[in-house]
Amino acid sequence: MKNISFLTLLFISIYGYSQTSTATSKEYQKRVLENTEVDLISSLYGQKGDNAAVTGGIGNEKLTDIASNIIVSIPVNNNNVFSINATISAYTSASSSNLNPFDYAGSSIKSTNSDKNESTTKNKGGWNAKSGASQISNNVANRGATPWLESTGASRSDVWVNGTFDYSHASKNRNTIVGGNISASHEFDYQSFGFGGSLAKLFNQKNTEIDLKGNVYLDTWNPRYPTEIHSYIVANEDLNSGFFSGVTIYDQNRLIMDKNSANAWKPINTTLVTNKKRNSYSASFSLSQIISKKAQLSLFVDVVQQKGWLSNPMQRVYFGDRANFYIGNASSIDNYTSKSNTDVFQLADDIERLPHTRLKIPFGARFNYFINEKLTLRTYYRYYSDDWGINSHTASIELPFKISDKFTLYPSYRFYTQTAAKYFAPYEQHLSTEQFYTSDYDLSKYNANQIGFGISYTDIFTKRKIWKLGLKNVDLKYSNYKRNTGLSAGIVSLGFKFVMD
Amino acid sequence: MKQLFYLCITVMLFATLNSCVAVKEYDKIDLNDPDMSLSARNINHFETSFQVYREGASGANGGKSGGGCGCN
Repeated sequence: MKNISFLTLLFISIYGYSQTSTATSKEYQKRVLENTEVDLISSLYGQKGDNAAVTGGIGNEKLTDIASNIIVSIPVNNNNVFSINATISAYTSASSSNLNPFDYAGSSIKSTNSDKNESTTKNKGGWNAKSGASQISNNVANRGATPWLESTGASRSDVWVNGTFDYSHASKNRNTIVGGNISASHEFDYQSFGFGGSLAKLFNQKNTEIDLKGNVYLDTWNPRYPTEIHSYIVANEDLNSGFFSGVTIYDQNRLIMDKNSANAWKPINTTLVTNKKRNSYSASFSLSQIISKKAQLSLFVDVVQQKGWLSNPMQRVYFGDRANFYIGNASSIDNYTSKSNTDVFQLADDIERLPHTRLKIPFGARFNYFINEKLTLRTYYRYYSDDWGINSHTASIELPFKISDKFTLYPSYRFYTQTAAKYFAPYEQHLSTEQFYTSDYDLSKYNANQIGFGISYTDIFTKRKIWKLGLKNVDLKYSNYKRNTGLSAGIVSLGFKFVMD
Repeated sequence: MKQLFYLCITVMLFATLNSCVAVKEYDKIDLNDPDMSLSARNINHFETSFQVYREGASGANGGKSGGGCGCN
């Protein structure tokens, strides 16, 4: 009797459990991503300014960039998503072109392989032969070298390409999401390889989300240098040979410099990039919280450590306590810092040199509030601090306004302010006794205002189709950016979102 | 010191926000509006890029925080 009772109980338990399992297996589970989605974004960016870092903090900063990005997100199964993200960006830059300011239309400049004797300079920091030690002719045509006009050198334009692969997995209850990514990018003087992972946990009936991310970028410079500095090294510091052969160099008083004098021009340091590595390690933590039926908030904090060659080897520095020397039209020397200077160029004292480590800690917050069916408030704030002395505040506000069920207008305003890095000083303000120095105005003290306006079209039913791709969203936005140092920029972006049937 | 102060504020906010009333899924209609998303708009992708290049600060916005380019 006891055995029968026991077996009966056992049978009921097993039957009950199997019923539960069966009920679970029939439960509907929404996919993390229902269909393949394709996002396309293109932008045109233009800037102008008078503080080019390549020419030591003065000079033409005109730059134009055209970029495109595509992201394809593919649902692998109910729980997993695979994404491919590719970007191509092509720019032309007056500042970068003046890496070799002596290469311009009308001059007889030749860039020859005969000067690219890498073996004589291997111990000097591994300069790159392709940047071109140049022969200069005295036949200057309509203009000369100047920081105020762009040259036509190879460094005038470049293309940056990037590819990222991302894979994410969500748990069945969608409360845990793990992901991993790898990326690679390349431009003429820089390449990058990166990888990372992320973990997201949702709590409190999905009212609370915590995200953890870690990323590593193992980057390498392919350094390019100001032409006079690496030509000096190529010529074994002989101002009578190579690039400088037959070239007249003037001092500040417009007198011809004696190239054999002990006081002749020379860079303060002929050791260039010794370690081409530039690695970044970042950890990010964020919390998202629903405050009410109409409000939600996110908090972010990152810790970023960078190590390696953190300076830009293209960027010149001029010291106030060293004599100035020039190539070009001597009568323009007194006018050097004016835009009316079209034919004289000052030889650099050194390249930018910055510490080999940098620790960055930004804190950010987003707060969004659904005012009514027509209007939403989106806000963002960030405080940033690093051990180079830069502290900054960023604040932005956006007011999306639905003018119909398909169209939304979104004006925005962003304010940014930062203190200067400890190592920044304007043109001719550094001293040769300093260990670290830069005249890059991106590291100076400034405020910036940015005003934007966008329009968005959304069709959740994707009635318009191209092949199998249904058009879900079109975005068009223009932003204007102005710094109180004189830099101004504009960017127009166009984006499309497609959903594949 | 300032960094420690802000870190403490962040931790306190983490502790207090978790006690907010949970909004049910069926009450999240307004929260699920695309304009309420707690991330930057996709269209701002290249805008964020030029800001990273031109400004000393980066990060703390849910996106990339460093590396991948020779920018600051």
